[in-house]
Amino acid sequence: MNTLLGSFRKNRNLWITLIALLIVFVLAIRGLTDQEAVGGERYKNVVITILRGFSTGSIIFLVASGFSIIFGLMNVLNMAHGALFMIGAYVGWTVAVRPDTAVDAFTPIALLTGGFMLVPIWDRLLDKREWLSRSAHIWPWLGLILTLVVLVFTLPKYPITSWDVGSYEISPVNFAFAASQGILEVPEAEQFVGISPAIGLGGIILGGILAGITVAGFVINRRPATAGASEAEPFPWNSLIYCLALIALGLLVHFFNTSISNYLLSLDTTWLFILAILVAVLTGAALGILIETTMIRRLYETHFYVLMLTLGVNAIIIEIVRTIWGAPEFTMHRPSIFAGVGDGCPAESFAAMMEYKCATIRVLGGRVRTYNELFIPVLGIVVLIAVWILLQRTRLGMIVRAGVQDSEMVEALGINVQRVFTTVFALGVGLAALGGVIGAPSTGLTTTLGDSLLINMLVALSIGGLTSFPGAAAGGLIVGLLQQFIIKYGQIGINIPFMEEPFKPTPPLVPAMTVLLMVIILLVMPQGLFGRKE
Amino acid sequence: MDNNILLKVEDIHTFIGQFHILQGVSVEVPKGTIVALLGRNGAGKTTTLKSILGLTPPTRGQVVFDGKQIQGLRSYDIATMGIGFVPEHRAIFRDLSVLENLRIAERQKGDLEKKEDFIFSLFPDLKRLIKLPGTNLSGGQQQMLAVARALVPENKLLLIDEPSEGLAPVIIEQMMEAIRQLSAETTVLLVEQNFTVASQLAQDYIIIEEGHSVKSGVMADLVNDPETIHRYLEAA
Repeated sequence: MNTLLGSFRKNRNLWITLIALLIVFVLAIRGLTDQEAVGGERYKNVVITILRGFSTGSIIFLVASGFSIIFGLMNVLNMAHGALFMIGAYVGWTVAVRPDTAVDAFTPIALLTGGFMLVPIWDRLLDKREWLSRSAHIWPWLGLILTLVVLVFTLPKYPITSWDVGSYEISPVNFAFAASQGILEVPEAEQFVGISPAIGLGGIILGGILAGITVAGFVINRRPATAGASEAEPFPWNSLIYCLALIALGLLVHFFNTSISNYLLSLDTTWLFILAILVAVLTGAALGILIETTMIRRLYETHFYVLMLTLGVNAIIIEIVRTIWGAPEFTMHRPSIFAGVGDGCPAESFAAMMEYKCATIRVLGGRVRTYNELFIPVLGIVVLIAVWILLQRTRLGMIVRAGVQDSEMVEALGINVQRVFTTVFALGVGLAALGGVIGAPSTGLTTTLGDSLLINMLVALSIGGLTSFPGAAAGGLIVGLLQQFIIKYGQIGINIPFMEEPFKPTPPLVPAMTVLLMVIILLVMPQGLFGRKE
Repeated sequence: MDNNILLKVEDIHTFIGQFHILQGVSVEVPKGTIVALLGRNGAGKTTTLKSILGLTPPTRGQVVFDGKQIQGLRSYDIATMGIGFVPEHRAIFRDLSVLENLRIAERQKGDLEKKEDFIFSLFPDLKRLIKLPGTNLSGGQQQMLAVARALVPENKLLLIDEPSEGLAPVIIEQMMEAIRQLSAETTVLLVEQNFTVASQLAQDYIIIEEGHSVKSGVMADLVNDPETIHRYLEAA
């Protein structure tokens, strides 16, 4: 009792805010309770709205947690986080709906990345070479031009059976619709035209290697003259192994392309969905590594430039997505274990839901969608626990928590902080991509997906406290619940005394109320609910 | 080169932003000794330590540690070669427990187990506090933890920045005793404002003024040289 009282005195504002939020929450629940119904059915709307709030909150949390850890550790406000969330959704959709295209695209990406993996080796071999350093400011640019020529010549020739944004018959919109109806027919695979496969594949590999040499050149040029770093470390043989493995894998996929595609197309949608999650998360992590190592790393000291840079990356990613997948909105079907209708559905019990793989389950007389309102919140909780364990129980987590406070001291202990930064950035972007692919079947895919999520996420983090991990979870949940309650009240209306008609909040009020809540909380607690007072 | 010299800093220049902080600092630390880096506030003592570690890399001059040139290497590589750093202001990790503060300094699994008897014999308090978060420790305990953290891996050299700053006299006594004991195993380069503390601990001294190393020698001589003390060390 004493400790409770002490905690109340110490965190008075926090307690008052939490109690106020609780009162608003209780009032909102009372408003949704159906007084005429009997028994548990009175709370039908309440339960469904809360579950929806958890669902929205989970997606916001997945993105916000990565964003806040990155900001806490590196002081980088990654404005591209929303766009990377969107990439997760689009890549996941591609794997789930058009696995043949994903297989086609894998080979050129693997070959390019494979060649690119050699950067540390070129760095070691070309550094401090007399005959190169005389032309040090020219040859990387020559390398860049040569890379572009080779890639422009070969890369577009690689046959990728995709879609045509311009014609409805073979547009993503149509494929998405067909997939949701279970009548998807993918086009015939394409072949190399006007170029021999050997030259095409070899050219892409060459392009990747040239790109690696170019990057190594720029890296060497930027290095201060006094540095004699590389001799201290063992020769980077493992990058050669990665390179060869990736190229071998890319070629293997190329030669067995048709059988792999056919196998994937014959898979159940649940398995494809799991594969989509894996591919989306790995793509996100890989993009995170690319963005961190090639761009953000050079600008850590200048926070404003990082902000501008990530905003630019955000815009570029949105345009790339528009070019590849097109601007029109389309849907992603749910995996089969959450899509069952008919026999035994809506499920009456949890066991029946598992047995019939129902899309909906009956709770207190209402229907709850199993994917949106059960699976997503459960996954959110699983990720919450997993990240919590990672932060509190592993050495990486310990280094991250220490680095949030003083990354210079962590480095002085003999820890490669740069590598930790890259790892954390990859993890954070991977989490965002996970949010994207998980959210896609519930929200659909649009090119504005990232922007709206970015706003929600920033609001949630401001409410919860910018660099606090529990704050990211609490903020996401509060924003999710608030939005879903307002949407629900928009349907049934609020009875306000002396007003004849019930007041129905319109959809534009949803973001407005979210921001209003943030403003109120920040007025009382400028650091957010769980932020640290500096 | 003299085999007995563990660290040799030769005429280093360091910029922080546009400010030319170090304009020619030379330091020699013989093996097995405590060398005190003296000078007024803002003379460049802390920057010298950070330049050795590569946290603020020197743009000119050279740093030789254990026979190898280390200037220009990355900080974590320099630290891994066997240099421990105890920063000023008791910079422990406040969100980490005492145990985690020690664990994070491990370079190999089991480093702490090898050294814990020695560490806890120097600072018995820490053993009792092992589970507490760093933020709950008193100032003296935090300083002990900061020193203990640098003792976890096998370090040949410790850079200790202002260990007595802001501590009560009793605690300073305890800290001095600990530094004396640990110097039996490790060489120490010590930055210290408190001349009494520095003169009792160190065998040699180096005085830095306005980014230049201006005078060095044996501590016993400096103690009997009030003129030098007045000129370089007493508040202007």
